Amino acid sequence: MIDLIHVSKRFGAAAAVNDISLSIAEGELCVLVGTSGCGKSTTLRMINRLIEHSEGEIHIDGQQIRRFREEALRRRMGYAIQSTGLFPHWTVARNIGLVPRLLKWPAAQVQARVEELMELLGLSMEQFAGKYPHQLSGGQAQRVGVARALAADPDILLMDEPFGALDPITRESLQDELRELQARLHKTIVFVTHDMDEALRLADHLVVMHQGRIVQQGRPLELLREPADDFVESLLGGEDRGLKEAALLPVSQRMRPLSPRLLARERIGQHASLREALSLMLWRHAERLTVVDDADMPVGELSLRRLVGERSDD
Amino acid sequence: MTDPRRWLVPMVWLALLLAATLGMGQLEGLFRWLESDSRQVIYARADFLTLLGRHLLVVSVAAALAILIGVGAAIAATRPWGRDFLPLVSQLASIGQTFPPVAVLALAVPVLGFGTLPIIVALLLYGLLPIVRNTLAGLAGIEAGVMEAARGMGMSRGQILRQVELPLAAPVILAGIRTSVTINIATAAIGATVGASNLGDPIISGIVNGNTAYVVQGALLIGLLAISVDSLFSRLPMSGAR
Repeated sequence: MIDLIHVSKRFGAAAAVNDISLSIAEGELCVLVGTSGCGKSTTLRMINRLIEHSEGEIHIDGQQIRRFREEALRRRMGYAIQSTGLFPHWTVARNIGLVPRLLKWPAAQVQARVEELMELLGLSMEQFAGKYPHQLSGGQAQRVGVARALAADPDILLMDEPFGALDPITRESLQDELRELQARLHKTIVFVTHDMDEALRLADHLVVMHQGRIVQQGRPLELLREPADDFVESLLGGEDRGLKEAALLPVSQRMRPLSPRLLARERIGQHASLREALSLMLWRHAERLTVVDDADMPVGELSLRRLVGERSDD
Repeated sequence: MTDPRRWLVPMVWLALLLAATLGMGQLEGLFRWLESDSRQVIYARADFLTLLGRHLLVVSVAAALAILIGVGAAIAATRPWGRDFLPLVSQLASIGQTFPPVAVLALAVPVLGFGTLPIIVALLLYGLLPIVRNTLAGLAGIEAGVMEAARGMGMSRGQILRQVELPLAAPVILAGIRTSVTINIATAAIGATVGASNLGDPIISGIVNGNTAYVVQGALLIGLLAISVDSLFSRLPMSGAR
């Protein structure tokens, strides 16, 4: 879907991005993570040509991005940024309809699409459509920003630290919403962040960048278990690594079938993470949890030994 | 937004201006007390309505040209291809304002002759700075994230200028135009010294003949005109404002 082949970007003599190659599959949520100045934002902005790459080739669907007109290329990709960049003199509805109008959709279709997106992102039409950006909270504004990015139903979504300026609670709920949206929409998403927890929560494909280069890429669990070097290891949280890994594994992977024994009193959903299970055990002083399905029916049990135990089944 | 009362204050000033223009003769008693030595105390070489019309015309033409040139130059100097000219443009506009309009008149008359043309040139130069400066400030004051999003969404440069930059900078640009026009309503009076007939006539004539009543009549009308126009500007809808 998106291929970067030996891409570099130089500003004068300094290389902001140095010979990176990266292939992002269709429907994948790829997170670029690294410290400030590592070149992750530059990489993102080269994909929609807000920054022109100096060397190498960038392909979208097998075609070089330089073969498209800049504007046409950008209208095919959603773009959401940390400061939202909502137009302060336009209402929420008008902001969301921007790209469809640029693509000259008929007015009725734009209107219908705006309503659809506002519903998708949990913004009630009568409450928000006529509001101006300064009347929104940070989380609401960022939802509008994401809705605007999705407006013309692009296959690709570029997100530059979209949740970076939000408080932790709003940030987590928007991360969850993004995951849910992604499960439904299957966009190809490139997401830039410096927050490793956010990266681990969201990524299908995690790319760690340092000083303009890619130091390691792969699935989040692979990186956690086998960090390529000390830098990746420290970025992945050193002593918190066990908890970070537990946060990526669902309870259903470690539970065992219901035994004839009495059900444990404390319950946990099968889609919850091992980290949540461990937290519940610590909090309730319980060594055993009953695992329940979405309908709250017991489907298995999880002991502390199983939780920390064998890795044979993953 | 469409509250008719917001236009009340400008309307009162306009009414006062019109009343003073048409009914100056009614105040003869007052002016006779002010200027008891003169035989004639109401300026009569042209009627005040004609002078007011010419005054407005000169200021409007100069303002229209200043807006066209000032906003145009400021926009050009903030485009990628014109950024090299940015310091030059702001310097030229500053020079235009430090150069006294009287000096411009003195230099312009030999080239353009007596009449209305030299005063339009003088007002144009004098009025450029506030417009250029405010347009530059308005365009520079737009949040970087907004511009980044506009580009990232795939808007063309022309679309960004028309739909984002100008509407957002509009309140600041309008404030510059307001300053420029208000100053020039007063400055236009000096045009009377080079034969441009306007509300400066009674003032100049009053100074020459030692007739205070004439001076007061001209000054009164110019003052009322400036206040009326300024208060009209203050009620203009600011598209970018909230």
